[in-house]
Amino acid sequence: MQREIYAYKCKKCGHLHYPYRMVCRECKENGYNEFEAVPLPHKGKILTFTRVHNLPAEFDVAILQLGIVELENGLRILGQLAMEHPKIGMAVEGKVEIVRCAEYEKNYGMVFYEA
Amino acid sequence: MRDVYAIGVGITSFSRLDYPLTEIACYPALMAMKDCGIHKIDHVYVANMGASRLNRQTGLASAVVDSLSLTPAGAEAIENGPASGASAIKQGFMAVASGMNDVVMVIGAERMREVNNLDATDFVATLSHPLAEYIYGVTLPALAGMFTRLYMEKYGVTERHLAMVAVKNHANALLNPFAHLRQPITLAGILDSPEAMTNNPYVAEPLRFFDCCPVSDGGACIILACADVAKKLKKPLVRLAGVGQATDTLAVHERVSPTDLTAVKLSSQKAFRMAGREPSDVSVAELHDAFTILEIVESEEVGFFEKGAGHLALERGETQIGGRLPINTSGGLKAKGHPVGATGVGQAHEIVLQLRGEAGKRQVKNARVGFTCNFGGFGNNVVSLVFVRE
Repeated sequence: MQREIYAYKCKKCGHLHYPYRMVCRECKENGYNEFEAVPLPHKGKILTFTRVHNLPAEFDVAILQLGIVELENGLRILGQLAMEHPKIGMAVEGKVEIVRCAEYEKNYGMVFYEA
Repeated sequence: MRDVYAIGVGITSFSRLDYPLTEIACYPALMAMKDCGIHKIDHVYVANMGASRLNRQTGLASAVVDSLSLTPAGAEAIENGPASGASAIKQGFMAVASGMNDVVMVIGAERMREVNNLDATDFVATLSHPLAEYIYGVTLPALAGMFTRLYMEKYGVTERHLAMVAVKNHANALLNPFAHLRQPITLAGILDSPEAMTNNPYVAEPLRFFDCCPVSDGGACIILACADVAKKLKKPLVRLAGVGQATDTLAVHERVSPTDLTAVKLSSQKAFRMAGREPSDVSVAELHDAFTILEIVESEEVGFFEKGAGHLALERGETQIGGRLPINTSGGLKAKGHPVGATGVGQAHEIVLQLRGEAGKRQVKNARVGFTCNFGGFGNNVVSLVFVRE
């Protein structure tokens, strides 16, 4: 099955949120679980990024690249960057992959490649 | 509301401490009681972030109040991430202002060096968004690195400006016997010379080693009291005149403008309003420079300088000791150190010394109004305090 990362659309006012929250930030009026899950678009542009050299123990790499990507629908997401030389404004496309592997679980998240 | 005064302060070295967390909390408390000569305490607040995880100790406040033989005084621990210290001071302020207590003790204590640096960094990273940030390997330096790159792009801040903050705060720390990093550094050594990349490697680009605070152990204490108690003492009177707090989205990417630290702005506005003072009244400030960029940006959000002009004021020397508004005279988190839960109390300690005229070689002349900004998460929970010398 194709994994997705979801945005959450308020059933009252239509405002989109990522990540999940309990109450709509816009109208603050939706009741319990009144969100519709909508898959996040995979295409966007790099807003900012960093290359991290000191990583938590589970990360078996020398450098991890992280960035905030502005997606086609205006939502932003933080993800890992897989291209060699990220740049602000670079067009990227994300794939849902394992981003962190602890002993007890695998975490799936968005990994972005140059589009 | 009743007026609230800071009557006693104490602090440990911020460094690696080889004694248990409870004692890290108790030594500054003993100093603060000696400082004001008062040993009858109605309530004890202990600010701490990591005891349960780093030191396998819970119920820290109960251990501390007992070790100080202050039982049966009330006691509780306050955890609000790296803003725990100022949050605990806010609780103490409310207890005295409300009339519920006359004398309260606020302690901040942390023992982070019990684990190695990577584990400490991962521990602090757990305050990021669990699903939208933490799982990706986000650390606080990573969030700060992304923030810095955007800020450089938008406002023309350079690596040189960041290095200037580090050089200034290391120089201040040399004047503070309790500071963690008492090591003079130069722009040549950390930026310009051929050895600079070795001396000062990247941690989370564009941030380098000397842009990041150290991982510290440390404790600090401030005793707060009502006017009746404070005015009987022979110390200069320092009033905690303004307290403000504000929050922001947990995930940094969700903020309308990711280069704004809105919670810093709102919390400081609240604190100034309560104190009846303006940013331009401030003579000395301690800002939460866990990363050099934060000193620059907070100095703007607090209202000391226009947005985008903080690095220019730094260039002009306005924020060094002897300048128009000295910032982080203690050395700041950058060089004094950052024992996370204790930091906010440590900031208040410095401001009380400055306003009393007891800051020794780093004394700011005629300091009348002091300000602290204690920054939790990556700016998602901020507590600001305004102190006034009466």
